[in-house]
Amino acid sequence: MNPLKPFSFSPRQAFRVWQREVSVYKYVYKSTIVSNLMDPLIYLMALGFGLGAYVNRMQGLPYIQFIAPGLISSSIMTAATFETTINTFVRIHFDRVYEAMMATPVTVEDVVVGEMMWAVTRSTIYATVMLCVVTALGLTRSWYAIFVPFMGVLGGWMFATLGLTYTSQLKSIDQVNFYFTLFITPLFLFSGVFYPIDNLPQIVRMIAFLSPLYHLVEVIRPLVLGRLEFGVLIHLAWITGFVLIFTALPVNLLRKRLVK
Amino acid sequence: MAAENSIVQARGLRKSFGTTEAVRGIDFDVKAGECFGFLGPNGAGKTTTMRMIGCVSPSTSGSLQVFGLDTQKSGRKIKQRLGVVPQEANLDEELPVEENLTVYARFFNIPSSVALDRAKQLLEFMELTEKRSARVSELSGGMRRRLLISRAMMNNPDLMILDEPTTGLDPQARHLVWDKLFELKRRGVTQIVTTHYMDEAEQLCNRLAIMDQGQIVENDTPQNLVQKHIGREVLEIRVSEKEKSHILSLNTELIKDHDSYRDLLILYSDDADQLLEVIKNTTINTDYTIVRRSGLEDVFLKLTGRRLNE
Repeated sequence: MNPLKPFSFSPRQAFRVWQREVSVYKYVYKSTIVSNLMDPLIYLMALGFGLGAYVNRMQGLPYIQFIAPGLISSSIMTAATFETTINTFVRIHFDRVYEAMMATPVTVEDVVVGEMMWAVTRSTIYATVMLCVVTALGLTRSWYAIFVPFMGVLGGWMFATLGLTYTSQLKSIDQVNFYFTLFITPLFLFSGVFYPIDNLPQIVRMIAFLSPLYHLVEVIRPLVLGRLEFGVLIHLAWITGFVLIFTALPVNLLRKRLVK
Repeated sequence: MAAENSIVQARGLRKSFGTTEAVRGIDFDVKAGECFGFLGPNGAGKTTTMRMIGCVSPSTSGSLQVFGLDTQKSGRKIKQRLGVVPQEANLDEELPVEENLTVYARFFNIPSSVALDRAKQLLEFMELTEKRSARVSELSGGMRRRLLISRAMMNNPDLMILDEPTTGLDPQARHLVWDKLFELKRRGVTQIVTTHYMDEAEQLCNRLAIMDQGQIVENDTPQNLVQKHIGREVLEIRVSEKEKSHILSLNTELIKDHDSYRDLLILYSDDADQLLEVIKNTTINTDYTIVRRSGLEDVFLKLTGRRLNE
């Protein structure tokens, strides 16, 4: 296949792909939304109340209040990641959903963009539900928090780009585990969700700067806690730059994988 | 430009995967309203050809036009008018039967009220109305295949391409599918079918292309193929090598052609009974003989060989 072949993309057809996912989600959301949100909520309860009883204050905040915005951020990451790794792999290889779509006036480019839009939708839903829970627990301090769903869009887009890029290279579903154990879990633990990394050694901070989740946390925490400073714009720019540069990558890689 | 009435026109069509040549330069035309069949053993290049017609696999070289449009350039336009039934079911397992059709219709930008009406009609036509709210996982193999065909008809296609439409179905389900495909042909829907079942090819196809190792070895009506290569009847006889050459050296017009596999000698003839009489008049042992009518299977085996290709 000629790599220079121009993209054949139609926003309307990508929307149709997105609509198909919405139709399926109507039948499965009840079983998935609870299990997917339980994870961050258990961390919030166990560490916030449990560890929080021993940790006096973190950056001048009760510990649970410190980690709540971090867990909103990580739920954005997991939502988009599950959707674009395991679910996408199943759609390609087991249910062969993409094959069915591509027999219609839908191109591979429409499929990939539609799937990204859907992963973004799920991230945004989870970010919003998590924000509501955190707010109900009295942990939100600022009206700026209403911008959190917007970060669900941008953060979801970023992790969808990463997930689809990885999935485009997968040979078997077992390889999905590597992505979680070698990439997602380290991000979860070393990106400032549970402790600030500002005071850690220089080398750790440099590595953290490469972490997409770190930048997401550093935007969402100031929004939820009302501590907006100039630095937030740098993190926002990092995320925006990332999606602008890398979005075309999974489109290209999946085209190579799916069009033979 | 495509010839008049030609729905599909292929000239020198090739497809390679790396160093493997799956399709090695084929020419064919499919005319409006006919059912055209690709018959061939596994790995002959049938499915690859279908995928190129369906605009999901770009050809390596040669030309392929569908509805007079280039498949490489006008995929979206062509696919808008195609109905594709894949070899293996790729239905939406999570969705109920009827929604499988309406969700699919959205990819063709069919308004939802129109899609719902059409889905109801098609489920009726395919005898699936009772199952409209069932999950796909509750359907039998035959029902899934009928649902796949219904789905491929949601956009009222001008051309349907069906890849082994009855593989894996029990005889009752096969006959029901054939019946529906015949009905579609009567309504004027052009069809392209791949199969390795001879009876299916004879039942459904007006014309056949027999494929082997990426090439079309013959292309004609089923009747002409049989008449041209085999004749009306077949005499099968199990004999020694010596007796084989004896029979073949008989000076008779009754042997049109022959084929040989281990101790089996297959004689193609327009009058096999009389040929058997001639052989009985010699010293050859005729204990193991069968006289039968010829069929497409004889043509197929003659042209593609009797040994396994795998």
